[in-house]
Amino acid sequence: MIKLLGILALLFAVCATTAKLNPDFLGVYNIQNVVRWTSLFGIISIGAAFVIITGGIDLSIGSVVGLVGCVMPILLVNKGWPAWLMLLAVMGMALLIGLIHGLLITKMRLQPFVVTLCGLLIYRGIGRWITNDRTIGFGSEFNDNLRLVATGKVHIPGLNGFAMPVPAFILIALVIVSALFLNRTIWGRHLLALGRSEEAARYSGIRTDRLVILAYVICSGMAGIAGILFALDANAVQPASHGSFYELYAIAAAVLGGCSLRGGEGSIIGVVIGAAIMRVLYNSINLLGIPTQLEFAIIGSVILLGVVADEIVRRALRNRAARKRLKRGNE
Amino acid sequence: MNLFRSSLGALLVVGIALGGCKKEDSDQPESTGKEKISLAFVTNGPANFWTIATAGVNAAAKDFDCNTDVRLPNGLVDQNRVLEDLLARNVDGIAVSPIDGENQNGKINEAAGRTHLITHDSDAPGSDRLMYIGMDNYTAGRMCGELVKEAMPDGGEVIIFIGRLEQANAKLRRQGTIDELLGRDFDPTNYDSPNARLEGNGFVILDTRTDDFTQAGSQSQAEDALARYPEIDGMIGLFAYNPPAILNALRGADKLDQVTVIGFDEDEDTLEGIKDGHIFGTIVQNPYMYGYESIRILAALAREDMSVIPEDGFLDIPARKIVKANVDDFHAELRKLMGED
Repeated sequence: MIKLLGILALLFAVCATTAKLNPDFLGVYNIQNVVRWTSLFGIISIGAAFVIITGGIDLSIGSVVGLVGCVMPILLVNKGWPAWLMLLAVMGMALLIGLIHGLLITKMRLQPFVVTLCGLLIYRGIGRWITNDRTIGFGSEFNDNLRLVATGKVHIPGLNGFAMPVPAFILIALVIVSALFLNRTIWGRHLLALGRSEEAARYSGIRTDRLVILAYVICSGMAGIAGILFALDANAVQPASHGSFYELYAIAAAVLGGCSLRGGEGSIIGVVIGAAIMRVLYNSINLLGIPTQLEFAIIGSVILLGVVADEIVRRALRNRAARKRLKRGNE
Repeated sequence: MNLFRSSLGALLVVGIALGGCKKEDSDQPESTGKEKISLAFVTNGPANFWTIATAGVNAAAKDFDCNTDVRLPNGLVDQNRVLEDLLARNVDGIAVSPIDGENQNGKINEAAGRTHLITHDSDAPGSDRLMYIGMDNYTAGRMCGELVKEAMPDGGEVIIFIGRLEQANAKLRRQGTIDELLGRDFDPTNYDSPNARLEGNGFVILDTRTDDFTQAGSQSQAEDALARYPEIDGMIGLFAYNPPAILNALRGADKLDQVTVIGFDEDEDTLEGIKDGHIFGTIVQNPYMYGYESIRILAALAREDMSVIPEDGFLDIPARKIVKANVDDFHAELRKLMGED
């Protein structure tokens, strides 16, 4: 809980600073944009969190986003598939990718880093190959129907013209389901337990392999959902670069949001706040006219500081608890 | 003590977040000040080419008394986001080099509806942009093809290197080169698949290799091409960093001067290569003028002078051929523009 408050404070600090330096930050148009971007990146970050909680890693998220983006226009525009069938196909593809990752990691005992690194390369390559490296897009045919899933907005009464981007609703739904799954179901608790110590979890009768596979399926599934939204939002996909590095943003958001790369820890809300911090930082860099070249340096520094502060707080709490125990022991 | 340390940590974070942004505090009142126009120049990625354009932007900012901001986004999704952020900032005009002019129309129209929007370097013909500043890439590609023909009068086997084929300017530039080499008629709607082996007019175009916008990638592509086609006669590099990457690869393979190199754009190494005779020639655009003219026009538009828009919506800044005979003059001119003299 303290952790959540800490990261929320960081988000608030970045927002307040930007708004103070440039009041346009709080404009309806800008807030809508930031919410939309946060939703898109929030979704992949939740996926990354599930894998990180098991003590694993998924480096292929960006390439899955890219491949989904490449396949969508091909099926929809070139092959003329109906939208529902195309969506079913790309989601099936994403889930299958996750299943393969999970099986290779649990049954073949391969390291997650290696499996998903290969995935990163393979899916990127396939995407570039099937599109011949040409940017492909949806044209203008889907502007008023399918694309609304990513670009649509729903007016919220009484909020001064503010309209909630549709992806935000998708994110909220995914957050609720994921948080309930992680915190309120036996599988979620087992997932956290196996992240702390897979061996201990296995000896206590948890079928760890199944859970690990599930985590990778969820991660690629989230990348699939986000991939659909990213492609529809941009309306065009550059096969060589669409989604590249997104896995790192997702991992950074997860870590910023309180996941430990050692596994066993993480909160879904925290991860979404982590993703929000990253998007607000990107936004404020542009709004304040800070040179583009400094973008990565600033974002890297803020993440590092967040993690350092988190570690300091954690140690302080641990020391305090230890001292209390000692005191009680002495009494 | 613990409480002290944890508060220190929290303070540190907030302090840096504030400090990181405060750095910009000094420019801030200027750029939000309504009395001075604020304009943005958005590129299609980070590249040396845009450094020259930035010099033009800065010169025009002085001449036409406005604040300018050059943004170098990383890919299409990032470019869309940068446009949104600039609109949120209520800039008075944007000049953008769209990465995918066709499919980005929605975002470009959104921007055009909120501010003065023009395109430079690469166009978005179907959009609501007010005008396009740049050159005709297909024609420039054909000029590049002419240089290849001059350098290799007997024809031969060549390979093309280009950063990526996704943006309109790259497609057209490559196609112009191919059509000229194969002796085809002038038709910018042609498109040959990058993997196709093309033959005609005494030339064989073995392949087109893309490198995802990195010089290291381009060099390794060139090295691999030398390994695969040891007898290759010519290498054509169509993005600014391609010719230097080709030179590096040739140097490494000890094949300088055995393979004819034709380039594009005015990278320092390319110009030095022409002086040394390792590169036959290059086609240069005029990025400085892209930057300068973009700001000149946007500043006028912001002051409600619509007469700066040409009737056909196209301000042509033609390409030029640079070979050994005129490279020194060109280099001197470039240095002057960049303020290096």
